[in-house]
Amino acid sequence: MDRPQLASDRRVRMFQWAIAGGFTIFVGGIVTWIIHLIRTAWWLGDVPSASIGISIVAIPVFLVLLGVVLYVCWGLLIDRSER
Amino acid sequence: MADPLDTRDAVLLAPIERTGRGFYWAVAILSLGVLWGAVAYAVQLNEGLGVTGLHQPVSWGFYVTNFVFFIGISHAGTLISAILRLSRAEWRRPITRMAEVITVMVLFIGAGQILVDLGRPDRVMNVIRHGRYQSPLLWDATSISAYLTASLIYLWLPMIPDIAILRDRLGKRKFFYTVLALGWQGTERQHKVLNRAIAVMAVLVIPIAVSVHTVVSFVFSMTLQPMWHSTIFGPYFVVGAIFSGIAALIVAMLIFRKAYGLQDYLRPIHFRYLGQLLLVMSLLWFYFTFTEYLTGYYGGEVEEMKVFWGKFWGPFSLFFWGMVLANFVIPLICLVRLERRTIGKVLTASLSVIVGMWLERFIIVVPTLSYPRLPFPEGIYWPTWVEWGETAASFALFALFYLLFTKVFPIISIWEIQEGREVGLKEVEKRLLTYLPETAEPETVPAKGRL
Amino acid sequence: MALWGMVIDLDRCTGCQACVMACKAENNVPAVGPKEASRERIISWMQVLTEEDKEHPDGKLRFLPRPCLHCDDPPCTKVCPVYATYRDPEGIVAQIYARCIGCRFCMAACPYNAKYFNWHTYQQEGPGQNPDVSVRQKGVVEKCTFCHHRLQKARERALAEHREIEPGEYVPACAEACPARAIVFGDLSDPNSEVSKLARSPRAFRLQEELGTKPKVIYLTEGEARG
Repeated sequence: MDRPQLASDRRVRMFQWAIAGGFTIFVGGIVTWIIHLIRTAWWLGDVPSASIGISIVAIPVFLVLLGVVLYVCWGLLIDRSER
Repeated sequence: MADPLDTRDAVLLAPIERTGRGFYWAVAILSLGVLWGAVAYAVQLNEGLGVTGLHQPVSWGFYVTNFVFFIGISHAGTLISAILRLSRAEWRRPITRMAEVITVMVLFIGAGQILVDLGRPDRVMNVIRHGRYQSPLLWDATSISAYLTASLIYLWLPMIPDIAILRDRLGKRKFFYTVLALGWQGTERQHKVLNRAIAVMAVLVIPIAVSVHTVVSFVFSMTLQPMWHSTIFGPYFVVGAIFSGIAALIVAMLIFRKAYGLQDYLRPIHFRYLGQLLLVMSLLWFYFTFTEYLTGYYGGEVEEMKVFWGKFWGPFSLFFWGMVLANFVIPLICLVRLERRTIGKVLTASLSVIVGMWLERFIIVVPTLSYPRLPFPEGIYWPTWVEWGETAASFALFALFYLLFTKVFPIISIWEIQEGREVGLKEVEKRLLTYLPETAEPETVPAKGRL
Repeated sequence: MALWGMVIDLDRCTGCQACVMACKAENNVPAVGPKEASRERIISWMQVLTEEDKEHPDGKLRFLPRPCLHCDDPPCTKVCPVYATYRDPEGIVAQIYARCIGCRFCMAACPYNAKYFNWHTYQQEGPGQNPDVSVRQKGVVEKCTFCHHRLQKARERALAEHREIEPGEYVPACAEACPARAIVFGDLSDPNSEVSKLARSPRAFRLQEELGTKPKVIYLTEGEARG
């Protein structure tokens, strides 16, 4: 198999890692948002138990999704660079 | 491993390689529908929600009905793709991609309905900045975000080997496909990584999907209103969602089967199995509906009975009995015997269910609001052209998104079909042997005569 | 801390709707016009409902003035996604027009239909309005506030004069306007206030009490005239 040109190869890599990075920022944003809502509810004394209860489920779900995406990005991209 | 040079499945790449006139006609017609909705929404933005038929006390109508309906259809992807993948049903192979695309596209449309329904859409950021988790709407926001994210991932991951085929074979949009293919070469290690990730997603996406329509139902059941405040709503909505999802999936499959000549891949057997699933869901839906109304009727609580009679005999009776006809009677008649004329029966049943399930959402939302507890003058809800336009545009936009998707990515999973041919058969044979008692060779019993 | 509540004596109420008009004038409640009214979009924070006695259909109608009942366990505040409606420490269920996104969930949740929506922009700011009350644009929910602006004014006056608010100094427009004096308003947490004494009357009942909303508008049922 031919070795592809380095310049476009690097550009592709940049975009691919950008997808991974972008998704990390997205999930980070969601987690930050949920924590912000917990803090607001706590400060206002407005049923903080609801916020905490939901976050106990929602935050791990989003973190698992992030984990899956990062795992796939890492697993596929690393393999390619090793060839 | 998917061989990019395998030309048996060239028909699956054809829609991406070539575009016929039919496509442009379809886009034109769908765009008209979208335009109608866009004009309607512009009028609504300018003048306020008063351009709809909503009033006191029916302050929720078509938009909320559409919201529940479209979010419900999103369960198509999960059921078929995730559950069939987990149960290793081989017949899922040509169907999974279509199902997953429905989920992703319809979630956007569903979430958009709420935006259209807001009196002050310019303040939607208040939900982010000042959200209250005691409100079921925030549960909706979180759950639907999780589901959309998960479905996008669950669509993309199994598509990676197909994107690699496009990257290597297609010629156009090479950069786009190269990026999304994540360097897929089909090595054994990459296969392991991908299969592991897909397995995790298949397990994760099911509870997320169940939670989505459950929290949508909680928007109604967490209030104190008659015939809303019912414990059955969570499971009822999920069953209804899966029901309408399968119907929508069947219709989408039949449309693209005709348009792209996929008769060889989407065969009568697939529709037969889906038809049987649809029948099961129809019976399940009827069971829940019957239970719900019998409980209300038997209890005879005054406020509930007002709503009940409104649905059974009153102004909503046409929609109520239409719903029963479309969701139960017609599918039962069509789907009980599926050996002959499978496609026609399944199509009829599915179209009927789509109409019936929309009516079901309407019957849940509007009658309860129409019969307030206090002695108000009763108001009948008449939707205006704005609401019809928005509904038409929602369907049109969904179809348009779906159509555009099929032009960029293969609508049937090429590598999974090839995997089915190469690996599936042997795997199934091995599995079948594990079900049967362990005997190496068939034993021949010598003829001893009767003892 | 005060707990503001109201008692409405149904035996005194004549159904004249002076309370409705006073409320509309005081709170800049828009007149939506005949076309919108025929489409069931009248906004009436205080609304007089008429109830027929089913056992005596030719008998008297019951007039039920229904403001917002300012529940102590409000179903509307539970479902608001953005803190646009909440119960303040003195028991008044507030409505914040600037925060409301117009989702109308609170309208769907209120068992008394006490909330109203601005389906259009029914009025602009202009002369002849009460300057103490904001004028609402389209797309937000509004409802009776127990004339909260009057409470603020009374508080400020009392503060300026270095004293407490006297009973009777803060009354909503409806209580003030009722010619039959059927509406009594005051502090339910003060056991000696007129409102508290009337609330303990054997004729007292709450609407939809079994729902558990704990409304703070208490009604006194009619006397011997109604069987």
